[in-house]
Amino acid sequence: MLKLTNIVKSFNSTGKPEDQLTVLNGLNLTINDGEFVTIIGQNGSGKSTTMNLITGVIFPDSGTIELNGGDITKEKEYSRARYFGRVFQDPMMGTVAEMSVLENMEIAIRRGRRHSPIRWGFKKQHRELFINALKEFDLGLDKRLNAKAGTLSGGQRQALTLLMATMPQLPSHKSIRKDYVKFAYGDKEKAKEEVENAYKEGKARFLEKKKEILADKSLKKAEKREQIREAFNRFDNEVRKFDVTKPLLLLDEHTAALDPKTAKRVLTLTDKIVREKGFTTLMVTHNMKDALTYGDRLIMFAGGEIVLDVKGEEKKKLKIEDLLNRFETVN
Amino acid sequence: MPSFVNIILNILVTGLPCCLLALGIFLTYRILDFADLTAEGSFLMGATVTAAMVMYGINPFLATLAGCGAGAVCGFITGSLNRFLKIPKLLSGIITMTGASSIVMLIMGLANGTSSHFSNLMTLNIAPDSPQQTIYSIFWLWDSTNSIITAAVMTAIVIVVMFGIYYFFGTEYGMAIRTTGLNENMARSQGINTTAASITGVTLSNALIGLGGSLYVQKMGSLGVESATGYLVIGLASILIGEAIFGKRSFKNWIISVSLGSIVYFSIIEAAIKLNVPSGMMKLLYAVLIVIALCLPAIKKFFVVMWFKFAGTRFGQKVISFFVEIGRFFKKIGLAIGRFFKKIFFKIFKKGGKTDAEVN
Repeated sequence: MLKLTNIVKSFNSTGKPEDQLTVLNGLNLTINDGEFVTIIGQNGSGKSTTMNLITGVIFPDSGTIELNGGDITKEKEYSRARYFGRVFQDPMMGTVAEMSVLENMEIAIRRGRRHSPIRWGFKKQHRELFINALKEFDLGLDKRLNAKAGTLSGGQRQALTLLMATMPQLPSHKSIRKDYVKFAYGDKEKAKEEVENAYKEGKARFLEKKKEILADKSLKKAEKREQIREAFNRFDNEVRKFDVTKPLLLLDEHTAALDPKTAKRVLTLTDKIVREKGFTTLMVTHNMKDALTYGDRLIMFAGGEIVLDVKGEEKKKLKIEDLLNRFETVN
Repeated sequence: MPSFVNIILNILVTGLPCCLLALGIFLTYRILDFADLTAEGSFLMGATVTAAMVMYGINPFLATLAGCGAGAVCGFITGSLNRFLKIPKLLSGIITMTGASSIVMLIMGLANGTSSHFSNLMTLNIAPDSPQQTIYSIFWLWDSTNSIITAAVMTAIVIVVMFGIYYFFGTEYGMAIRTTGLNENMARSQGINTTAASITGVTLSNALIGLGGSLYVQKMGSLGVESATGYLVIGLASILIGEAIFGKRSFKNWIISVSLGSIVYFSIIEAAIKLNVPSGMMKLLYAVLIVIALCLPAIKKFFVVMWFKFAGTRFGQKVISFFVEIGRFFKKIGLAIGRFFKKIFFKIFKKGGKTDAEVN
């Protein structure tokens, strides 16, 4: 659950009074888990500012941002990156043009994890994962893993960014434990005790099993390795049960730079992924038709405030004319 | 013949320290997109620290490492000035470079024991029996092979560094640094601490440059503040020449190109010296070389266009087909020889493998 409370953000606050610009003045917004929210609004209505506040590009003057019960208001952009998958308006921004598709995806799968200066950056098991994911997308990229991202078309790059944003995350055990405590509702000490105990017990069991396997002389070397890996996977799964952070998908006008046909394709892809994997999604768009067709909640921004917030059945009944009328009356 | 060997050794001995310099500048300039002017300062700094330590008879490996570290400190300062104090990249490099030259003169003065504590020249006594030992002189066997061993030690260090760079930039953190240089917004949105990555990159680059300076001074035996200027330009020219001649198709290829670029550069300089170009004209030669390096891609393009024009004519096609025929002939011979050796190989080792002919 993402919760913005009393957010105030103004730009140029040290300048002359007439130059000051208060974009958001006491914004309250709650987004529940699993919701697909579309956001519309005119330029300068504060929707991009809201997105930037959520991802930490800029910080609010006052107010708090909570994610799953944990306060992330002061967390830096790179350290909260693991909670968000982002797709930008500019297709050039989401991928590194000079790197290959494979390298781009390798960076994305490690989002929010510690980057080791010793471990090699490419993994065989990752490669299979990427190929399968690309095949699902049906872009013809699964055979062009080594192509530079700069040689792809805008639509392909945007789809690749979308894939990178929705990539299965493999956070380290340490960060899983840390996040569990951070995002625990209520008693944090108790949560810490619980997760640490579970981790310690699991680890002790794994080490015991490992010792047993290594001492067993009837096994061959390869078998030993296999069994140790199995034991580790069991331990790994036990720890991953505590993983509370489901990435939030933030799409900032991600089809604005594409031609209508490609935009349609990318949007369908987005919808499919969000529905299949159950991502909580925020999608900013200027296209009212898209805002109505996709998603199950619609929010309209005007002058830094939410002027319209409809869900479910009510949203299905909405028509473009209603939205246009609303736009007129607001201004 | 010995004179030819001497020329090659000379080129290696002057060019290899600049390989490290070029690699260091390459890291900031090409990978981090950080126009780093610290290079000159850290080169001098590395050289001075090493020279001072060698002068006091400290273990040369330790001295080299200290030179490397001194360069790294310069880089760290530049990176921090840029990232924490938000000083523009170009300016923070200039600031460090300027500040470093004072420190350099202080170290030289202290090492020389001058009364004013400042000096801008220091000389080492590098002889096989001297207490001042360098990383080359501890491997020296007898007089006539000294320069060969010096070149060999340098080559070994440069090759190790090249492997190190290749490995490091393939690791997870190396990839993060590369991402930071290429697309910082994306790097931050992918959870990379770009501040740390950028500072690490600049530090690493200047550590390499410091190592280059340290290798340089241990060979030359003397160091003046004035004589060591202009190395930034040499490094840049090496990068450009290397890229233009040997290409930058992959990261591996790119590293090798950059290091070979500095060898090519010094070959040209050495040739100019052998042709008795007056020393006053050398600066002009540097300038011309850099202009050529900068316009090499354009020249390459011009020749490619000319080639296509030539290939379009009837005469051109005849010439090309003639060469293609010759090529096919040699390919046939080569394949035959290859098949022959393969057969022999399998007969000797009896691996049960099949030759090409059998597979077909």
